Parts: sequence; structure tokens; C-alpha cells
Amino acid sequence: MSTGRVRRAALGYTLLAPSLFGAAAFLLLPMLVVVWLSLQRWDLLGPIRFVGLANWRSVLTDPTFGNSLLVTAGFVGLVVPLQTILGLLAASLLARQLPGSPFFRTVYVLPWICAPLAIAVLWRWLLAPTDGAINTVLGRRVEWLTDPTLALPVVSAVTVWTNVGYVALFFLAGILAIPADIQRAAQLDGATSWQRFRRITLPMLRPTLFFVLVTGVVSAAQVFDTVFALTNGGPRNRTDLVAHRIYAEAFGAAAVGRAAVMAIVVFAILIAATVVQHLFFRRRITYELV
Amino acid sequence: MSWFSRILVYAALTVGALITLTPFALGLLTSFTTPQQFATGSPLGIPNPPTLANYAALHGAGFGRAAVVTALMTAVIVVGQLTFSVLAAYAFARLNFAGRDVLFWIYILTMLVPPSVTVVPLYLMLAEVGLRNTFWALVLPFAFGSPYAIFLLREYFRAIPADLLKAARVDGANTADVLVHVVVPASRPILVTLFLITVVSQWNNFMWPLVITSGSKWRVLTVATAGLQSQYNAQWTLVMAATTVAIVPLIALFIVFQRRVVRSIVVSGLK
Repeated sequence: MSTGRVRRAALGYTLLAPSLFGAAAFLLLPMLVVVWLSLQRWDLLGPIRFVGLANWRSVLTDPTFGNSLLVTAGFVGLVVPLQTILGLLAASLLARQLPGSPFFRTVYVLPWICAPLAIAVLWRWLLAPTDGAINTVLGRRVEWLTDPTLALPVVSAVTVWTNVGYVALFFLAGILAIPADIQRAAQLDGATSWQRFRRITLPMLRPTLFFVLVTGVVSAAQVFDTVFALTNGGPRNRTDLVAHRIYAEAFGAAAVGRAAVMAIVVFAILIAATVVQHLFFRRRITYELV
Repeated sequence: MSWFSRILVYAALTVGALITLTPFALGLLTSFTTPQQFATGSPLGIPNPPTLANYAALHGAGFGRAAVVTALMTAVIVVGQLTFSVLAAYAFARLNFAGRDVLFWIYILTMLVPPSVTVVPLYLMLAEVGLRNTFWALVLPFAFGSPYAIFLLREYFRAIPADLLKAARVDGANTADVLVHVVVPASRPILVTLFLITVVSQWNNFMWPLVITSGSKWRVLTVATAGLQSQYNAQWTLVMAATTVAIVPLIALFIVFQRRVVRSIVVSGLK
């Protein structure tokens, strides 16, 4: 190797060193540690003891964890379609670019800028049974957060309320990137605005839709702050999303090994979901180009 | 567009804006209400006279300190992330050396690691080295650059004309000079973008500060707000003041940098 190449490599690795250290120490090493931890018993304070696959057996047969996965699936199933449809709707209104549109766009993004924890605390008051704003307006006592059938839809609604403006931004960028000529040509050919939306806007938004769905699923599957402050996983674990379960297991029940198993399972599911969505959309996109 | 459909669009946009803004407005009003006014009047009424007592009580509850800790934590992480990400992105974008591309893609794959998975092992690691409940524990996991930032910066740096860099070299500039005087000034928009999204995500961070700190010493605003809420569940006037303190700095930042933030979100697809 020439000295020039050695020097360039030395410079390259010197510049990379801090970032590589960060990724190795705080992203990759934790992944190894979590696998190791899944084979240990630890209560946060005492010694760490090897227990083989005991944690795996206990978690994989634990109805509480099964419930958490189902609750999370239900939550994702409510939040992602709703926020996508409402985001698309808001974007198609904003895309008309009437005077004042930027103001509305800014307003819609506000909830998303704020700390999810603070938003959840705000809604905890709005939804409070006796002195909350919503029940005061309704004039009756609805147990929004403690009724087992209402709690998950309500937590989902708060999440959708937070995310719609954010989702709309991506659709807005996508719609504005569609060449105006195509829309105008279709209009001249007599296409109605619904036909134009269905046949032009929607197909051309496919990459945006992919991005919004993938990031929507991955982030909804990890929501923690919102349930922590709104319901603490209750009532009767009906809003016990997996991120909350991992937290409760590790820092509430002090069963760190079990929490590690749960974290690994969640990671595997998220990777699988991302890959599946990717394959699905790639096929659809190629089909579109042919 | 006909005037009729115009009216429909504005009506729909206004309904959306009301649904978005009303909760904030109600929370803000309640934060200026005394507990007595809150108990006797309607929770929707405008406080008469408005009071700052809730905010004064927050000060007594250590929110001043929490705000300082949050600001300090955010500042250290932002400076660290931007500096180290610029260095790494420059190496990935403009230097040729063995292993560069493989390393880059491995690095990008780490973006797939979700925080809810790393929180438990990170807790163990930092507890083992004795950093639990320290300022370092708050900032270390985030301060060494982010795959996201490096990815975006690399794209940007690759588009800087090679002649610009070569000209600086001919003038005798070393790598540090090139970075400070050519690359960074040429990348201001993307750096502002990264600055804003890092501030937003770190200021709002909750799960990690919640588990790694305890007590009031290194408590951040989100953790303090959550603590207040569970401690004084029924004192909504006080709790709404806490929520306002946690939210207002970011809303102010957002309003000042409104266009930039909106563009930033779209460019980066943050979160």
C-alpha cells in the first residue's frame, strides 16, 4: 500500500472514530447485551445469574405478553390507517394552495412538535371523568380512560390527533411534486376531480404512501409516553402496548431478563414488518412501471 | 375553483384547526386559573382574574432546575451530534479509503435498532460503569452522532462541487480548514434542518431520562411533568402549568423557524 493510501485511510478513520464509537457502544453493543441479558436473571440491584432459557420459556407462554402484542397490533391497526387517511385528506385540502394554507399547515403540525408526554398529560385532563373539559361539555360522565372497551380507541385517537399534521406534510410534498401538466391534461380530457385523485394523484403518491406506512407502523408499535401518562397500561392491561410492557417488566417488576426477551421479540417483529412492507410495495411499484 | 368549493375547503380546514388548537387553548387557560376558580367555575371559562400562582408553585417544585437540565442536555447532544456527524459524513462522502462503503451500510442498518429495545441493556451498561443518575448518562447515548444525520449530510456533501474543495486545497488548506471554511458554510440549510430536528427530539425525550435518572438532581421537564401529574392528579391547574412549560419553548422555536421546520420534517422524515 502506498503511503498516500495509508494516510487517507488514517484520516478517514480518525474522522469516523467518534461516530463509530457511538454506534458500537450505544447501538450494537446493547443488541449483544440484550441477547445475553435474556439468558440471565437480574432484579436491577442484586447479582446477575445465568438461568438458560428460563426467561424465554416464561415470556413466550405468558398471557400478559401475548395480550401486549395483541393490544399493540390493535393500536397499530387503528392508528396507522386513520392517520394516513386523515393526513391524506388534510394534504389534499392544503394542496389547493388557497390564501392562508401555510397557516393551517403550521397549526396542524403543532401537536407533533410537542413532547408526547406533555400531550398525554394535557389529554389526561381533557378526558378526566369529573372535572375534565370534554365531559363538562357533554354534561355527563364518560369513563374515557378507565372503561375497558373505550380506553384503547381513546389512546389511539389521541395518537392520531398528534400525528395527522405530520403525515399530511409528506403527502402535501408528494402531491405538490406531481407535474401540473398531467393533472391539466386529464382535466381537459374531462376527468372529474375524484377520477384525477384516484387515477393520478394516488398512484403517483405510492412512494410517499410507502414511507408514511412503514414509519407509521414502526413508530406506532413503539409508543410509550402516551400510554404511560394516559392509562399506565390499564384498565386491565387493555392499553398495555409492548414498549410499556417492556418498561413495566424491567423497571416495575424488576424482571430484567424477561424484559430483554420481550425486547428481542419486538425487534424481530418490527424488522419482519419492515421487510414485508418493502416487498409488497416494491412489487406494486415495478408493476406500475411496466 | 368555484366560490362554493372554496368555502367548503376553508370550512374543512377551519374545523381541523379548531380540533387541533382547542385542547392547547383550554390547557393554557386552565394554567392561569386558581384551584378555587377551577372548582367553582366551568373548566372552559376564561379565568377572571388570571393568576400566575400555578407557575410560581412550579418554581417551588423544582421546574426551574428541570428546565435548565433539559436545555443543557439538549445543547450538549445537539453540539455533539452535529460535530461528529459532520466529520463522519465528510469521510463517507469525500474520502476514499478501504472499507468505507461496507462501514457506511452497516452504519445505516443501525437505524433499524429501536429505542424500546436498547433501553434495558443501556440501563445495565451505564449502571455497571457507575453513571446512573448522572448528567453523562443523559447525554452519552445520543451525543456521538446519529445514523440519520450522517446519512442526510453525506448526500449533501456529495453534491458539493469537487472544484470548490480542490481550490481550497490548492490554497494550502488542510482538512480542518476545508471543513470549517468550505463544507460547513456550503451546507447551512441541511445543518439548520438537523439542528431543529435534534432539538425537538431531544427536548421531548422521556423514556431514557425516566429510567436513568432518579430524584430531582438530573430530572428533565418531561419527567418532572409526569411526576407532578401522578403526584397531584386532581390539581389540574398546576399540572396544566407544567404541561405549558414543557411545550411552550418548542412551540416558540417552531413559530420562529416555521418554514424551516416544516421543510426539515419532510427532508428528514424524523422519527
